[in-house]
Amino acid sequence: MGPYHAIMVHFPVALWTVASGIVFFRAFSDGPLARAFDRVLVPLLLIGVATGVVSYTLGLLVWPPDTLQATPLGRNHMIAASWSLSSWVAVLFLRWRVGEVVWEGRVNRLIMVGLGALGASQLAATGTLGGHLHGGPAYLSELMRVFGWDVYHTFYTPTWVLLVLAVVIVVMPVLAIVTTRGRAARSQREEAGQ
Amino acid sequence: MLRRRTAIIVVATLFTAALLLSLFTHSTGVVRNDPARNVWIPPELTMPVQLQVAYNDAQIFFHYRWPARQPHVFTDLLRYSQGKWQRQLSTPIGSDPDGVYEDRLAMMVDDGSVPEFQRYGGYITVGANMRDFTGSGPDAAHRRKYLPATRRDPNEWYSIVDQATLEAQRRAGYFLDLWHWRAHLSNPLGRSDDQHVAWYRLYDSGEPLFVSNWDRDKGQPRWMFDRERSGVRALRWEDVAGGRRDESQPYYLLAATAVPFDATHPWEEGDVIPGQVLREPSGSRDEIRVQGQGRWADGYWDVTLVRALDTGHPLEDKVLRDQGVYSIALSVHRDARASRWHYVSLPLQLGLGRQAKLMATRFTGPTPNWNRVETREVTLFYPGQVSWKHLSSARHAGSKYIAKGVPVKYRHKETQLAQYGVEMEFDREIRRQWALSLIAGVLLVASFVFSVSLLFRHRED
Repeated sequence: MGPYHAIMVHFPVALWTVASGIVFFRAFSDGPLARAFDRVLVPLLLIGVATGVVSYTLGLLVWPPDTLQATPLGRNHMIAASWSLSSWVAVLFLRWRVGEVVWEGRVNRLIMVGLGALGASQLAATGTLGGHLHGGPAYLSELMRVFGWDVYHTFYTPTWVLLVLAVVIVVMPVLAIVTTRGRAARSQREEAGQ
Repeated sequence: MLRRRTAIIVVATLFTAALLLSLFTHSTGVVRNDPARNVWIPPELTMPVQLQVAYNDAQIFFHYRWPARQPHVFTDLLRYSQGKWQRQLSTPIGSDPDGVYEDRLAMMVDDGSVPEFQRYGGYITVGANMRDFTGSGPDAAHRRKYLPATRRDPNEWYSIVDQATLEAQRRAGYFLDLWHWRAHLSNPLGRSDDQHVAWYRLYDSGEPLFVSNWDRDKGQPRWMFDRERSGVRALRWEDVAGGRRDESQPYYLLAATAVPFDATHPWEEGDVIPGQVLREPSGSRDEIRVQGQGRWADGYWDVTLVRALDTGHPLEDKVLRDQGVYSIALSVHRDARASRWHYVSLPLQLGLGRQAKLMATRFTGPTPNWNRVETREVTLFYPGQVSWKHLSSARHAGSKYIAKGVPVKYRHKETQLAQYGVEMEFDREIRRQWALSLIAGVLLVASFVFSVSLLFRHRED
């Protein structure tokens, strides 16, 4: 499945790269061109995610699971691909569910830029690791080393960090729900008082 | 109650902090020494060795220079403790806490008769369940290096082919010459031990360089220092522990000068006598000599080994010839480590007058002028517990390249192999932690996006 995986990954790589460009452009511009690009963002991301899922599945079939997970490069490629896919699904979900509100205000735009940058960097890491696995290492891995990730070390977090992540995973939505419900309740009380 | 904007900033800050925390702490928290599993990871995973090679019509000279914080020149000591003589039999896991294990340098040499060696080096000699591997069991002490074709099943140590086949393999050159310099057991004699790897790591024929000084029946040494010549009958533990050496005292026991052990002497707690007695070797075992002195100074060992191009023992030594190309691989034990806790090199091509990665310099006269000989720095690495069985199995993603004969150097660097070796020792733990991290990362992104989507959609007046 290796050759088919290599062919297929061109689609999400291209689509997500364009998508990240649109996200950055739209975040810094309200012009008609930026708005026009933004209108195609959701379909672009949708096709990107669909082809990304197919590429991911084909990638899982290149080697038996035990082989892929027995090598640091294989593990790193898999974790980067999983996070890359998650990040772009996240951007798609946010833009589709929230609509143009994502471009309202500096904070919203900054979050979109952050997510776009996260997705783009994870995409670059995934591609670099795929190149290593395929026998064509790129110097991008040296850049990754500068940012603290040696690709020959399996990326995993210690248990105490996993616990911190678990707390953050729970606290973020709780905070959001409490904030939105509290605000909604106060608005209702204010409306009833009037 | 938080304002919506404040809540978004708090959530984004938490998300960013979690990502940065993961980045800064990644790949930690799992790798730790565990002597119960024979796991001990050296603090430095790679080390350099400077190598020069020169030859004349009759001999070849190898000059090695490698860093070592301090020399370790003791090994196998007999110690008087609690009223009786005791012998330390088990190999230390990693660095010997008492610093009592000799420094060593070994070099495997092949002339192309072992074709896998020039592609994969010493990896081909590491069978399954070798001694000191995790889970190898207490009966694994004898499971040492061997060549794959000496077994009916290369991954089964006990499936040795019949004697006639082994002899035919030997005549066909299917063995690796092994030069083995030892700071205690060979260097004082101005020799390197001479071995070879075939169905086992074997000693060359001839009288050995050392014999045991342990009288098992009596539970005491056989020989001791001659006080008249050496000034002492025994060394003191406090003088040798930690690898220290008192220059005024001998550190090895020579058969020619030792005297029979005197059990009636009032031995004291902490008296120490070497567990091996050095003696003049002979035959094929006496072919590799140290030119000058193998010595340690200013943080480096400098050792030059010299051997006849053709020793006259073609079934135990590789014959080297002008215009020949050979494969060599080095290993170094330092910091009082033994067994598999060494550094190894990938195979290196050596040319005698022919183009190769490392060209030996031809010279005339009895000794080379090292200033005119090319110096090659070779990177050695800690190999971990990686066996030939694993490398040639489907579990190794590169096994298909091995099947095609692609050399290891085209796919891996030394630093990479060292890291892989370490991760192999914690395979199960790392894989579990990696899987949990993967899931946590996905959930973190999902949680963040769900949270900000709620906050984005909720507008404040």
